[in-house]
Amino acid sequence: MNAPSNDAPLIQVSGLMKNFDTTQVLKGVDLTIPRGTVTGLLGKNGSGKSTLLKCLLGLLKSSSGKATILGEDPWHLSAEAKGQLGYVAQEVSLYAWMRVRQIIEYTAAFYPTWNNDLALDLARRWELPTEDRVGPMSQGQQQKLALILALGHEPDLLILDEPVASLDPSARREFLSTLLEVTRDENRTVLFSTHITTDLERVADHVAVLQEGKIVYHDELDDLKDSVKRLRVTSEADLPTSFGVANSLRSEISGKHAMVAVTEVGPTLVEEIESRWQASVTVEDLSLEEIFLEMHGDA
Amino acid sequence: MINPSIQFEVHPSSGVPIYRQLMEQVRAMIASGQLADGDLLPSVRQMADELQVNMMTVSKAWSRLEVEGVLERVRGTGMRVTSGVASGPLKERKADLKPLVEPMVTRGQQLGLTDGQILDVVKSVLKERKQ
Repeated sequence: MNAPSNDAPLIQVSGLMKNFDTTQVLKGVDLTIPRGTVTGLLGKNGSGKSTLLKCLLGLLKSSSGKATILGEDPWHLSAEAKGQLGYVAQEVSLYAWMRVRQIIEYTAAFYPTWNNDLALDLARRWELPTEDRVGPMSQGQQQKLALILALGHEPDLLILDEPVASLDPSARREFLSTLLEVTRDENRTVLFSTHITTDLERVADHVAVLQEGKIVYHDELDDLKDSVKRLRVTSEADLPTSFGVANSLRSEISGKHAMVAVTEVGPTLVEEIESRWQASVTVEDLSLEEIFLEMHGDA
Repeated sequence: MINPSIQFEVHPSSGVPIYRQLMEQVRAMIASGQLADGDLLPSVRQMADELQVNMMTVSKAWSRLEVEGVLERVRGTGMRVTSGVASGPLKERKADLKPLVEPMVTRGQQLGLTDGQILDVVKSVLKERKQ
């Protein structure tokens, strides 16, 4: 295996496409995930999140384009690369008849670098009694167990597909706090998909937005909140239909009022609007959810 | 010593990034006297645990405040509130101020103000402060 150097991105994707028969799900995805980041892959249901993750993991074969994960082609991943990867699928399916201890031992057998002390310690801290059977456990518990199984070999890269989608709010909160603990290790890179913006806000430092098979935004979450703003424009006279603002995502004009979401508020933008349209402008911060909706044109 | 009375609070779903919420709270606590010179702030890990946020978020807030001169890093101990008293040579303190003055001058010129008029504005602000 060509081990990627320490600053090489763990995932690099360019122009990745995936068709299922005539349906095009991924339409040219470009994405680079640097080491040590926690990235939330945000997209609506059906935007292609799972497909993208599966193409990265070599569980699906991409139709065209380029992808590398841990420096390798996902479709021909070496055992060493697989040993550095942890994955929790959207639907966790674990052997129901096994006990927690047994399923940990069973999974350990696949990995030469398994750290059993770590796995048992996580089970203890996350309150999964090792003698309990998997079958009767709640979904939240099963999800935690799946995470332990994905972490026991101490992977560099952890990929989670909608890890909290099936959990109730309190289990979701608890799992996210667990995930925060996992991201404490600065050398660990995490990529997780979700369609719920609030799942992302505490945990992720980066956000990538997948929309209709393409990454339409990828940057630090803080930068996204710092740059995307909503302007409320109130003019002295009715605003003409030609009213427009640079870098706008979406605008709504009604009489003297306009609401414009912009991707960037430059230092002079507000004054330009004020002088050009004889208007007063207020700038509003937007939550991630509002930004997401503005990006999808359905705020 | 870590001041036990300080309590941070974050709203992850707010439009204001979490690191900026923390920066504002530190500044407000200093302004209100809740945090005094030399008080230590909780470590990045402690804060991240307590507030249930990403560690990078806290460390970003602390380092920005360090750059602003509000906090200083004490080796092996953590972040400490710096004394409000100016330190360092005059030349350095002036150099510190310069990048803030530059955009002001640019703006003044854009508004068609003369050098004297720009200085008048500065003087009037200084005067208001004294009152």
